[in-house]
Amino acid sequence: MTLQQQIRSNRLRSTIVVFGFVLLLLLLAGLVGFAFDLSLGIVALIGAAIYGVFALIRHRSIVARLTHASEVDPEAIRPLRRLVENVSIAAGLPKTPEVRIVEDPAPNAYAAGLRPESSYIGVTTGLLATMPQRELEAVLAHEVAHIRNRDTYLMTIALIFAGVIALIADIGFRSLVWGGGRSRRGGIIVLIAAIVGFLLAPYAALLLRLSLSRRREFLADASAAEILNDPEAMALALRRLERDTTQIAYADASTAHLWVESPTDKVDSERRGVLAMTSLFNTHPPIESRIAALEEAGGFRLPEALPSDEPFGRELGLV
Amino acid sequence: MLWLWILIGVAVLLLLFAVFGYNRLVRLRNEVNTGWSNIDVQLQRRADLIPNLVESVRAYAAHERGVFEEVTRARSALQQAGSPGSAAEANEGLTAALVQLFAVAEAYPELKASENFLQLQEDLTDTEDKISAARRYYNATVNAYNTGIQTIPWVLVARPLGFHEREFFSARGDTTPPQVSFASAT
Repeated sequence: MTLQQQIRSNRLRSTIVVFGFVLLLLLLAGLVGFAFDLSLGIVALIGAAIYGVFALIRHRSIVARLTHASEVDPEAIRPLRRLVENVSIAAGLPKTPEVRIVEDPAPNAYAAGLRPESSYIGVTTGLLATMPQRELEAVLAHEVAHIRNRDTYLMTIALIFAGVIALIADIGFRSLVWGGGRSRRGGIIVLIAAIVGFLLAPYAALLLRLSLSRRREFLADASAAEILNDPEAMALALRRLERDTTQIAYADASTAHLWVESPTDKVDSERRGVLAMTSLFNTHPPIESRIAALEEAGGFRLPEALPSDEPFGRELGLV
Repeated sequence: MLWLWILIGVAVLLLLFAVFGYNRLVRLRNEVNTGWSNIDVQLQRRADLIPNLVESVRAYAAHERGVFEEVTRARSALQQAGSPGSAAEANEGLTAALVQLFAVAEAYPELKASENFLQLQEDLTDTEDKISAARRYYNATVNAYNTGIQTIPWVLVARPLGFHEREFFSARGDTTPPQVSFASAT
């Protein structure tokens, strides 16, 4: 699959996802209306629409808040910005993405934004403290590849819609708990259907989102190798991420698919506890198979020992 | 009647194929142009840094006239270079001249410690990194575009339609192989 095909398929999938979510939304709102009151269903729908539009406009800061990323003075992270600039030039991005810092000891990174021109990359302080320059560049190239391949577009849309679905399901579920007795169309079957629907909706949203994520990780790895002309750097970076056992502090199912390495793999912290099952649906393919794919494409074998070069963060005065 | 329909069907398919193929070539060519302007911006930036650098070294080592002339000549050669190949060549020439300039600077600890000189040196390194990044992208787009117009059936019509092969940004005798593609790794 070439890059252009991937970009086109991402656009097509985005359209499908949007329609899928709208359908799910209507279904859910219908359920709310049916179980309680038509007006409540309409209110929920309007609420969801407003939230959705708001989220689309404010998606940058919403994702930043969810991932605890903060904007920093560009001067303070100049060497890091330079790396991002170089990688974006090599990738042919129209504009260099902003860099935001996540105060977290676990090494990880993500990219977010609807358009390449308005995207940004979030990196954790842990990533800067562990990765030497060569591997850090590979991670940045992976994120830049996500932006160039329009993966972030799709993922950001999916994230927003999953949030909307969760909101509606929440409204329905609360009404069920607090006002279930007053339901006019009472029937026990309707009630059970409603409960099942409200419980399943977030799952459906999650599944839709996960169906987007896994193959693109392989493609982003391959793109990163191509951008830097150095597949070994990407493989080394992945191996280092794998060996590191620090867990990202606020691993959250809603943003898991954004990161370079799945932040939720090692814990079962899940939103609302209801979603403990999601470990079955990992957002990322196992790191081992990602490394194997790079080794095969690049024709090399990764040595057992990782290079003990200086971490890049030292240059920034972080370590 | 059936034959007519088949004929129309084939004609429509051919037309679609031609339209998509043509658009693809145009897109590839535009990517090459973008790639080239990325390099051009960085080359220009590099050339713009040179006068200040020469001035700051001259302030300490005015008698090293030969080196300054060499650098200035290499700079104007870079600015006059017309094609990607000759620009790459001129860029190498400038690199070689700068090596001499920095060798001269080695002998003046005060110069090496001066804020201005350090800043220029850093900017220059940054520009060189960016040139090599832009070069990777440009050469990859050239590779894709040239392959596009050299393959059948486009090779037959590319020239008359105004699609001409483009030059890589690499100096003669440069042995680095063109980009390896990992896109098939998926």
